Amino acid sequence: MTRFDSPRLPVYGGLAAIGLLAGLTLGRVELVAVAAPFALACAVGAALARDPELSADFELTRERALEDEEVAATLTLSSPVGADRVDVYLPLPEELEARGRNPRAVRLAASEPRPLELTLSCGRWGAFGLGPALVRASDRLGFHFWETSVGEKQSLRVYPSVETLHTMLAPLEAQVFVGNQVSRERSDGIEFADLREWEPGDRVRSINWRASARRGDLWVNQQHPERNTDVVLFLDTFTDVRNGGRGTFDATVRAATSLAHRYLQRKDRVGVVSFGGFLSWLLPASGTQQLYRLVDSLLQMDVVLSFASKGIDVLPPRTLPPKALVLAITPLLDARSAAALLDLRARGFDLVVIEVSPVPFVRPGRGELADVSYRLWRLSRESLRLRYEQAGVPVVEWEDGEALEVVLEEVTAFRRYARPVRA
Amino acid sequence: MTLGVLAVVPYAGVIAYAATREAAIAPVVVTIGVLGLLLLAFVLVRRVTEPFGWSIALGGLAYAIALVAHGTHVDEAAPLVGAGLLLSGELATWSLDARWPVAADRAVVVSRAVAIGGLCLAGLAAGALAVGLTSAPVGGGVAWTALGAAAAVLVVALAARLARR
Repeated sequence: MTRFDSPRLPVYGGLAAIGLLAGLTLGRVELVAVAAPFALACAVGAALARDPELSADFELTRERALEDEEVAATLTLSSPVGADRVDVYLPLPEELEARGRNPRAVRLAASEPRPLELTLSCGRWGAFGLGPALVRASDRLGFHFWETSVGEKQSLRVYPSVETLHTMLAPLEAQVFVGNQVSRERSDGIEFADLREWEPGDRVRSINWRASARRGDLWVNQQHPERNTDVVLFLDTFTDVRNGGRGTFDATVRAATSLAHRYLQRKDRVGVVSFGGFLSWLLPASGTQQLYRLVDSLLQMDVVLSFASKGIDVLPPRTLPPKALVLAITPLLDARSAAALLDLRARGFDLVVIEVSPVPFVRPGRGELADVSYRLWRLSRESLRLRYEQAGVPVVEWEDGEALEVVLEEVTAFRRYARPVRA
Repeated sequence: MTLGVLAVVPYAGVIAYAATREAAIAPVVVTIGVLGLLLLAFVLVRRVTEPFGWSIALGGLAYAIALVAHGTHVDEAAPLVGAGLLLSGELATWSLDARWPVAADRAVVVSRAVAIGGLCLAGLAAGALAVGLTSAPVGGGVAWTALGAAAAVLVVALAARLARR
């Protein structure tokens, strides 16, 4: 523990010394009487100096939580000799809020552990390290202080809240493995697709007897097979527009988590690409383990400022498997990600752009010039959207607070009427 | 805020008492006292600790000037002056310690208040003992003067050691 003394101790000592010397020199006992309390304070201060030898256990009730949930933290302080005052402070990231007293000052009895409980409200997703706590013990009069940090560092993962989605985007082409997605292909399945003439090798159970009787020849039913899909969540992490504790990057991660959760429930394979200042990816896979891996990967993501020019070429080919549905979640603010998405489309990927609108987070400036520049910015965004639509890419604007399902429905409607143009 | 105001009260009391001791020297005493008072207020308002010692020293100086000007008669209220200055210093320090918003348990607050009260009362008793000893028939001479000088040197050494830490 680091010990330091109150600056008033030498002041009191000096005053006592001056008073005593002056009293002796002038022969005035009153000055000695004035100096006596200060000399006594110095003596008491010296007697109170006793290292409290603080130790502590720090623990959280759980390691994982969802946004807006609460986690209880307990710091148990103990000292073999006790302490008249112990100031305890648990440094918290700004995403976590303490419901209770932090910092707080308590009294510690000798050899009697004192548990201090603090409820943490998880305001935003993220991976956090909590602890050690900072403590400062002092004697009763505050003449001596001992400072140290106590408790082991504990990790807390706050997962983004997941929005319940009923509508999911169907890819243009499915993969070959079994899943829940009704493929456009014709093969064995449940959904009726078409009729065709009987061929040798067809099973008897597939014969449509009603159609065969009407046409005088054997006709068989064809079905759409149930297949899985590969979904790649392409997150634009070049920029983040924030205002009042909310921002486009937060919304991006929440949307990605909701989509990943829902697609993985459908036995699809989901991968993620963080395309920004710091490039990271997770290869598509399915299952619950992939969900945890993916959410953990999302928690690690952050917006990193970079001026390096980047394109799709920097991504390993396996991150973007053929016939994959690429769901790009982007605020459409960085030219590099905008160009990369057009490049993806040009390479024949089934691309959908969910635009996390930065407009609610931007405050237009005052004055005519600011007004004109704001309108020009809005127009340039419109123009970019038009470029995507001309390339056959559905672009939907998603504003903070709006249900993601509404946006997905818009994409479905776009894809119902627009057909992709293949080069 | 409350502690700051409480710290000023005993200090102002000491200055008022010193000023009333000798009317002829009152303007000088008041000037020095008010300067110390302003310094103390500056310490409390701006939350700086450096001028703290000077403000207490100026209070003591104002009293010492009034004392010397008044004559050789022993002032029996001197222990109260010393305890008052100490109380002012302790309350001012407590006020400075409370500049960070730390929610303290009631037991911690009560404990410090009791400790400050006890320290001031003990200081008052020590001062009264010093004043009382002057009227005791213990004689005088070189031996007592040497003992007093040794005590003073001891306190100076203690102050120097505390300042070096």
